[in-house]
Amino acid sequence: MSRRDQTINAKWTAISYIFLILFTLITIMPVVWMLYSSFKPMGEIMLHPLRLPKAPTLDNYRKAFQYGNLIVSFLNSVFYSATATVSTVFLALAGGFALTKFGYTSSKVYFSLFTLGLLITVNSVITPLFIMETKVGLYNTRLGVILPYIAFGLPMAILLSTSYVRGIPDALIEAAVIDGAGYIQIFFKIILIVSTPVLATMAILNFLGNWNEFLMVFTLTSGENMRSLPVAINSFAGRLNEDYGLQFAALVVGTIPMFVLYLVAHESVIKGFGEGALKE
Amino acid sequence: MPRLNKRTSYYALLLPALIIYLAIIIFPIFMSLGLSFTEWRRFRMVGFNGIDNYIQILSDPVFHRSLWNNVQIMLISVLGQIPLGILLAYLLHRKWVKGTKFFEFMIFLPITISSVVIALLWNRVFSPVGIYTTFVRMATNNPDYIVRIFESEKYAMIPVLVVLLWQHTSLYMVIFLANLQRIPSSVFEAALIDGAKESTTIFKIVLPALSPVIFTCSVLAISGSLKSFDLVYAMTAGGPVNYTYVMALYLYQHTFTFHNYGKGSAVSIVIVILSVGLISLVRAIYGKAQKKFE
Repeated sequence: MSRRDQTINAKWTAISYIFLILFTLITIMPVVWMLYSSFKPMGEIMLHPLRLPKAPTLDNYRKAFQYGNLIVSFLNSVFYSATATVSTVFLALAGGFALTKFGYTSSKVYFSLFTLGLLITVNSVITPLFIMETKVGLYNTRLGVILPYIAFGLPMAILLSTSYVRGIPDALIEAAVIDGAGYIQIFFKIILIVSTPVLATMAILNFLGNWNEFLMVFTLTSGENMRSLPVAINSFAGRLNEDYGLQFAALVVGTIPMFVLYLVAHESVIKGFGEGALKE
Repeated sequence: MPRLNKRTSYYALLLPALIIYLAIIIFPIFMSLGLSFTEWRRFRMVGFNGIDNYIQILSDPVFHRSLWNNVQIMLISVLGQIPLGILLAYLLHRKWVKGTKFFEFMIFLPITISSVVIALLWNRVFSPVGIYTTFVRMATNNPDYIVRIFESEKYAMIPVLVVLLWQHTSLYMVIFLANLQRIPSSVFEAALIDGAKESTTIFKIVLPALSPVIFTCSVLAISGSLKSFDLVYAMTAGGPVNYTYVMALYLYQHTFTFHNYGKGSAVSIVIVILSVGLISLVRAIYGKAQKKFE
């Protein structure tokens, strides 16, 4: 490498470090500050906002769990996200199989109908959805949250599943048909098995989206025992403008579950978003 | 399990997804359109009122402000998040630094945090006992400094925009990074051997190669910015006064506070029309740009 190249590279290395470190700091600082402040009593936060806790206490957490109904909300979040994710992924794969491997002309119409959904946002249907759910008795029920979660997860999941299933060799399916297998059997015994990679991508994106969803739970439920974690944290921590310590504890509780998942599976999460996920 | 024939199997596989999707997304869109022409009083529909709801919305200064705030969010998304995302992705892709995996991990972290937590956390950051405030106090030697920008009619959106930039840039970074990795490395090497400058490589090779992705990301950024609700709601709830109102908040207020479902639906139809219109515009621009390259 010539001397000129080396100086140019050194310049770009410096630029890279500046940008990347800056961005990392803007993320680390608030998050770390939130974490250690959650172990400080209110008075200490007021006097020394940036100092590490002198005598770390779990008091904020004790109170947050006691008054914030956070355990119930956490369990609700797990239930909503898991049920909806499993259903979306399963239905999207079945749909993706039908739309790509059956050769019916109507498939194209259905497929465009699903992709149209990528542009439709929750707030363009929330008013009629609220009226419909009130009319049929789904308002303030868990099913009334899960069904819209599935519906809004489907467009992206169908997009991912069709592009994956299209790549599965037709010969594999034809051979099974010749052996006398029905299409439903083929779905369960072949398609479901060979689609594991795309199932994982769909599941990760979907779960993350459902976990952090706010508007639907917020507007389609009213009971405190129906809330998901983001809604509970908003109504609990949003009110705590006087007790910062307690607020920080609630925010940490809201961050930890996904952070743990991210820590364990960040490679797949990043890959999933990079490949397909364009879900907000 | 009974053996189903081909066509029955087709519908057995497709219909569950299709029915849920049609019932919860497509049908309500049409219902919304119908409702937008109705008048509501005290939780009851009292009749059709033509385009009255639309006239009321479009002549309401609060809606104008909401629209303008959405435009600002859109600009920061398309002209801020996407270019910054490309830059960060490129810096990571060229591996000029050590620990690219670590940086990727840290920069992408905000995506996993819910908007509500992000909103409340950043409110604290800007509060009188926040990191930002404390740093400014130390830097300017003014112990009484507090962040006043929230109260300003003109600039109240700025903290929201800053947080949005921080929250979503990494999403685009990750998408661009995945697509940069698809460009064969021989292309980069050939350019460098030819003695091309880094900037030439970026503008002549990288950006054209990424242009379909940039287009997709712009569509996403536009539809995402028109729907923004969670972060704004938790951070400012539209306040002070209505300085940080956005269209989704305006809709929420009419539907869930005033129970005026006609007006609420009209707002959602306006959002759909804007979104379709803007995306068609971006598509047209993209089509023209593509022709130019060829």
